[in-house]
Amino acid sequence: MNITFNNQLLRKSQSLIALFLLCALIALLSDKFLTATNLWNVLRQISVNVCIAVGMTLVVLMAGIDLSVGSVLAFSGAVCAGLIKYGFAFESLDLFVGFTVLGGILGAMLVGLLLGLFNGWVITKFVVPPFVATLAMLTIARGMTMLYTQGIPVSNLGPELEYIGSGWLLGIPVPVWISLIVVLVFVFISRRTAFGRYIYAIGGNEKVAFLSGININRIKLAVYGLAGMLAAVGGVMVTARLNSAQPNAGMTYELDAIAAVVIGGTSLSGGVGSVTGTVIGAAIIGVLNNGLVLLNVSPFWQQVAKGVVILLAVIIDKMNRKEA
Amino acid sequence: MKKSYKYGLLVVALAFLGYNSVYFKKLSAVRAESGAEFDFQAYADSIYYQGMLKNDRTVGLPALLAAVRADADGAFEKYGNRLGIGNSAYFMVSCSGKIAEITADGISLVTDDAETISVNTRYIFGNALRDASGLVKLTDFKTNADFNRVSEALNALIRTKIIPPVVQQLQAGDRIAVTGAVKLSKKALEYPEIVITPAQIKPE
Repeated sequence: MNITFNNQLLRKSQSLIALFLLCALIALLSDKFLTATNLWNVLRQISVNVCIAVGMTLVVLMAGIDLSVGSVLAFSGAVCAGLIKYGFAFESLDLFVGFTVLGGILGAMLVGLLLGLFNGWVITKFVVPPFVATLAMLTIARGMTMLYTQGIPVSNLGPELEYIGSGWLLGIPVPVWISLIVVLVFVFISRRTAFGRYIYAIGGNEKVAFLSGININRIKLAVYGLAGMLAAVGGVMVTARLNSAQPNAGMTYELDAIAAVVIGGTSLSGGVGSVTGTVIGAAIIGVLNNGLVLLNVSPFWQQVAKGVVILLAVIIDKMNRKEA
Repeated sequence: MKKSYKYGLLVVALAFLGYNSVYFKKLSAVRAESGAEFDFQAYADSIYYQGMLKNDRTVGLPALLAAVRADADGAFEKYGNRLGIGNSAYFMVSCSGKIAEITADGISLVTDDAETISVNTRYIFGNALRDASGLVKLTDFKTNADFNRVSEALNALIRTKIIPPVVQQLQAGDRIAVTGAVKLSKKALEYPEIVITPAQIKPE
């Protein structure tokens, strides 16, 4: 009984153990790793991925996938920058509608939400596989970003927005605060609300969830909407960090988010996993990236290493499930 | 009753967010305001037409490569421009040659010294031209953002007005003279990859 409990505990904490071992190994090999500057830098770097990956976790928990988050991030970031910098001009009315930083952020989040809802609508209304629907949105949103920015970065957005990406609040970088709030909110939603339990139920067995009276389409719509909105939060953070919206921002971010979700122990077949696991997954990817840079490993090998870690995570997850 | 409280709170929250998110002004007033600000485009135009093309620090590409190979530190000091410390610097160079290929992104040029170099005609971004010119100082501006807006304006001028009309008339085999910025690193002087960000391309 005790041994079974210990095994379960070990299984649940294996991502955390892997993170500690990775940190210990890198700390042994590089004396720069455990410096405060570097650790804050790692946290700052993973904060964007954490926001996107939290949304991805909800989607994957429902046995779905969202490949569009990187492009949605870019488009939302561009909208945020465009609203702040240019606003809207109505020549015939001699009227200029300007947006504050808050307005730009809310506009970006609204765009992310709408694109996510569109994904959800296509998936539920036309029964299109999530992989295909979100793959289509990946190119649509990227194209819209290029159209909106004309392929040129929108820069010089002012110190207020820059503060969100590079500033410090109470001794902690602002992006870290943002990702912390996102994590706390979604840990609460996934663990303590009926909505959260419905997500797990749909991922566990969609048919049974339907027979239990859960409005599956509505939940799916909401989850894809939230994933889009969290990608937009990431978009605002990236734009703020650079004080510029780059049309090619967020490329392959969806892969990092999926990697964080998988490494964090969420099953791609749905129903099993957690937001906290995803945070640990994102931290493992961030520490791995940082460690490989500190150890002067070529960027090409860094890609290989990341792929191997994802593969190992999936294999271990499969083995665990077989044992269970 | 509870529902009405909820909706009431929602309306108050939305009103608060809306009030703090959007502002309205007369368009003519906004235009007048922005007109009174520093005119970066006019500044960039003056840098380009009155300074960049008459820059006495412009050096022939073959002469520069020979100089950096003989005495890198000396050549970087004499011809190079950089804002901070580091192994790289920007140089304003000129060269002539025959066009080997024209693509949407740029020109492959075989110089008179039989070196093959690239001239970037599409993606004219970044600070290469501003820094290579050595004419714009960071201390002349209040913020880094303003300093970077000079690059933006200068790049926009060259990317949209100066280069496209010339490139449209060119074809492989034509001879051209190019003046532009190039970045060199002291760490890669043996076989440097030369990519020129052009300030001017002239058919010969």
